[in-house]
Formats: sequence, C-alpha cells, structure tokens
Amino acid sequence: MLQGMLVGISTTMIPINIAMVLLGCFVGSFIGMLPGLGPITAVALMIPVTYGMDPATGMVLLAGLYYGAIFGGSTCSILINAPGEAATVATTFDGYPLAQQGYPGKALAIAAYCSFSGGTIAVVFLMVAAPALAIVSKSFQSSDYFMLMVMGLTAVSAFAGKGGMLKSLLITVLGLMLATIGTDQISGIQRYTFGSINLLDGISFLLLAMATFALTEAMFLILRREKVSDDLDVKSISKWSSFKVTKKEFKLILPTILRSSVLGFFIGVLPGSGGTLGSFLSYGMERNLAPPEERKKFGKGSLRGLAAPETGNNAASSGSFVPLLTLGIPGSGTTAIMLGALIAYGIEPGPRMFVDRPEVFWTVIMSMYLGNIFLLILNLPLIPYFVRLVAIPRTILVPAIFFFSFIGVYLVTFNTFDIYMMILIAVCALIMRLLDYPMAPLLLGFILGGLMEDNLRRSLTIYDGSMRFLWERPLTLTIMILTVLIVLAPFIGPAIKGFFQKCSSRSNQ
Amino acid sequence: MKKEKVGALILLMFSIAYGLLAFKIPLSFLGQRETFNARTMPFALGIIGTLLSFLILVLPSGKTDKGDKVEDAFRGLDWSSVGFLIGIMIFYSITLRFLGLVISSIIFLVGGFYILGERRIWLLFIGSVPLVLFIWFLMSRILGMYIAPGEIFYLLGVIK
Repeated sequence: MLQGMLVGISTTMIPINIAMVLLGCFVGSFIGMLPGLGPITAVALMIPVTYGMDPATGMVLLAGLYYGAIFGGSTCSILINAPGEAATVATTFDGYPLAQQGYPGKALAIAAYCSFSGGTIAVVFLMVAAPALAIVSKSFQSSDYFMLMVMGLTAVSAFAGKGGMLKSLLITVLGLMLATIGTDQISGIQRYTFGSINLLDGISFLLLAMATFALTEAMFLILRREKVSDDLDVKSISKWSSFKVTKKEFKLILPTILRSSVLGFFIGVLPGSGGTLGSFLSYGMERNLAPPEERKKFGKGSLRGLAAPETGNNAASSGSFVPLLTLGIPGSGTTAIMLGALIAYGIEPGPRMFVDRPEVFWTVIMSMYLGNIFLLILNLPLIPYFVRLVAIPRTILVPAIFFFSFIGVYLVTFNTFDIYMMILIAVCALIMRLLDYPMAPLLLGFILGGLMEDNLRRSLTIYDGSMRFLWERPLTLTIMILTVLIVLAPFIGPAIKGFFQKCSSRSNQ
Repeated sequence: MKKEKVGALILLMFSIAYGLLAFKIPLSFLGQRETFNARTMPFALGIIGTLLSFLILVLPSGKTDKGDKVEDAFRGLDWSSVGFLIGIMIFYSITLRFLGLVISSIIFLVGGFYILGERRIWLLFIGSVPLVLFIWFLMSRILGMYIAPGEIFYLLGVIK
C-alpha cells in the first residue's frame, strides 16, 4: 500500500497532472454553478479532451471535474436556490436562507470547509477500503461479477424509492438493450444494426452520455425558460468580504462534519446511492440528533443544517470511487461515465486494475487530496469572479453547450451520423424525463451491459449451460441474497413499521 | 392519463418490438446449438422490459399529484424554441461536411443565439466566431488533429 501511495504521489506531482487537477476543479466548479448542469454533464463534456491523454492524467482531470462540479453546485444552491443536481438539493434547505439573511459569504465558506473536510476524510477511508476490497475481489469469478453487476443495477433502482423503483429498473433494462446494438464481440454477429455500417460498433457511450445529459439539460433550460443567473446581483457579490467563520461556529459544526463524513462515505460505497442519498441522510441524521432548540433552526439557516449535506455529498462522492476502482461497478451516474472513460482508455476496470495499472488507481486517490486543497484555497476566494462568469446569458450559454457536445462527439469519429443519433436520443431522453423517468440508470445499464453479458456467457460456459452457479458458489449466492434484500428493502421497512404499529395499537386496546 | 403510464406504454411497445427483432438476429449453425448465443441476452431483455412496463401500466401509481397528468408535463413549455433548435442542429449536421467545421459551427451558433432571442448583432458574432476559431486552432494546430476543410472550398477552387 505504501509503495502504491508513493507511486500515486509521484504521478500526481507531475506538472501536467497538477495542472489537470486545477483545470478539473475550475471547469467543474464553473459548470456545476450553472443551474441545471451537474457533475454528469461536466464529466461528459470533458471526456473528449481526455482521449489524447495518459489514462492517469485523464482520470485525474475527470475526478477533479466531479468534485469541482459538486462544489459549484453547492454555490449555486446557496446563492440562487437553484441546485444544479439532486445531490445539492439538501444544501438549499439552510444555505439559501442563510444567504438571504445577509450571510452569503459565510454560507459559501462553510460549504467550502465542509466539502474539503468531507472529501478529505472520505479519501482517507477510500485509501484503506479500496485496496482491501481490491485484494478480496481478486478471488471473484465471472459468476460473482455477473451477480455483482446485477446488484449494482438493482441498487440504483432500489434507491430511487418505492414509486420510482420499477421505472428505474425499466430504464436500466433499456440501457442494457441499447448496449446490445452492434457486433456481438464473441460470435461476431450483428445485432440491431439494420444493415447500417454506422451501427456496427454500436452506440458510443460518450454519445449516449452527451445526448441524455448535456443536450437534454440544455433543452430543459430552454423548455422551462429557466433563468441561468438572471436573479443574481453580480455587483453585490463582489462586495462580500466576510468569508470568516468564527471559532464558536467551527466548534458547532465540527461534530457534524465528522459524523456526516463517515455516514456519507459508507452511503457512497453502496452501488447506486451516490451523493444525493449521502446528503439527504446526513441532513436527516443531523436534524434528528440536534437538540430541540437547534432543531427549530433547521430550514431557516442552521449552520449544522448546511454543514451536514455539504459534508455528506462530498464524502459520498469520494465513497462512490470505491466500487468503481475496485470492482469496476459504478456507484453513481457520474462514476458510470468515468467507467466508460476507463474502458475507452483501454483499461479493464475491476480488481485487475489495482494490480495492472496501480499508477491509475493510486493517482486518482492521491489527486483527490490535491483537488480538495485547490477547491478550498483557490476556488473560495474566486467565487465572486466565478459568479460573474456564470452570469453569461442563457441565449449564449445553451447553444454553446450544444456546440461543445456535438464537437466532442464529432471529433472522435468524424461521422455526421453520430450527430443525427445524438439528436434522436436527446429528444427521446427529453420526452422520457418529462414523463418522470430517470436517465442515470440508462447510462449505468448501457455501460455495464456488455460486461454483464460477457460474464454471464462465461459463467454458463464454465457450468455447462446450467444456472447452478447461482446457488453453488457461496459468493455468488451471497451477492444474490443481498440483491434480493436490496430490492425488498423499500417494502420491508414500511411492512415492519406497520406490523409494530398494529402490535402496539392492539396492546393499547 | 398519468405520465408514468404513458412512458410505460411507450417502453412496452419498444420492448415488444425489441424482443421480436431478437428472432431476426442471424445465428450460425453452431450458434443455434449453444446455450448462450447472440440472441439470448436480447431475448431475455425483451421479456424483462415487457414485463416491467406491463407492471407499471397495471399497478396503481403511488402519486396522486395534480401535476402528474401527461398534459401537464408538456403544457406551458417553450416548444417552439426547442423545435427551431432541433431544426438548426439537423441543418448543422447536414452542412458540416459541405461547409466545413468552422463555417457550419459559426452558422449554428449564430442561429442558436438568434433563436433564443439574442438580437445584438455584435454579440451574435463575438459569441460565436472566437469560440469556433479557438476550438479549431486548439484541435488542428495544437493537438495536431486533422480537420477536413469543407467540400465547398474544393468546389470554389480555394483548395486544389
């Protein structure tokens, strides 16, 4: 581990990698600040830039973009009550009221300190947990991988809640369906290509990510006539001088930071949960733990109410790298895109990456420290200037997003068919999103689809065409039981609660 | 009709079509005898997709919000701007090879800005020309990527 860390530190300290961390944090913060655009869009937009880079450098840039965008999203939530993505919604509960009360600088500073602390503490956990899990997962066979992927895809849907579970599962299946388009890698048979040579290689994941997120988000900005930052009084922002947080305030939020970091990290490790659940659970936990006097302040500008989700979502973002780097299973939509990028770089994700490409593994981890420091020291004082950039009118911003998306995809293949395909997919995704169907599971399903089919095929070949590997291999069986429990979790909880309520009402009678 | 039901209906039709098309995937003689062949996964996915969308259609939806109806989801939105933008995107992809990356991108951006309501002529060009030229310079001159000039330049005899 020590050797790996040293490799990671030495690779991170290469000037190009330091520059990429810095660039990632800056661009991520900027894109994250734009209402409606979150880390998925930020990462998707920058992937084409990374294609010519060394895999470690590319991943460092993408990781910087990820947490930069989360930090940027918090800024936007606090200043104009418009969260860029679900993970920063909980930040608006107390961040925006605090800004309204005349403390926008303090709210932003607390958000920055908490993001830094949450991110840094979680990276320490990541450093310990990821190699340990990678060593354990070296004994995994294809049947275990297949089941693990089923678990990852199911977990995404399970965390969508009782009402959204079936919808998420259906969209995941749609993603798996799209993954089958193209030439079957084992038999060489064309599937769903309709005789078109443009579809022989299937749909590119970058195209799908751009179409379902960057283009769709930009279309939403127009459809809903969303003001990008028109409400923001840019001049007043420059006057903010007080980013100071007093010692008393630090003392107040310190236990919150520690608790939310631990909770956020472990939530992030669960496949499919990501920053959203991390931030909401941290907020909920903090409100429940707060004394009655403090609890009354929640939702009205409580410092603890701001610190908890901010720490939680950053810790969860770092946590979501554990399944990505060790098992090759993405924990969120953004890490799904990063998994796609890893595959595009020619790296096989999974435990072998820890052995074969330790420099990528460790550089991503070590660069996170650097990224968190950059976000704190450089981005915080630069917020007033960043916000000026964000004041770009919607009329200019949206076509520019379209342009970057098209160019990103076109310059990889130089095939105009890809642009037609992007438009078609973006329109379909827009309709599905208007009908309340989430798009992140689509990407997860799409990216894992090929790997899942390969592993299932291999397992069936090993077991002579029988499905008995599901119950004969203890590890596969354990993962399968966990999967079933994850599916049933939204139903079991209320059922148990109902049972106890019935029991207590009977005993009262 | 509720939003999720409409979505489920669309996906039900898609899943059925996908499942049926799985039968048209050609198989080799040996492939037909294999337990797992190129058709297996699509066929299974078609069945699962059909089943899930059918369940969403049949089961009562949890939400009973007023804004849950499909009409509400599509009403009051700026469809005309999106429609025009989609039109200009298609125009962009058609002209990309003929006019080349630089000219077609500038037209696309100027058109896009105009559709969204920007009427300041200087901003239309200041927002588009430097951006496109910067991207072109970055890609072709700094990163060394070959970006083919538009066919129009050959037709006009600018490039021979």
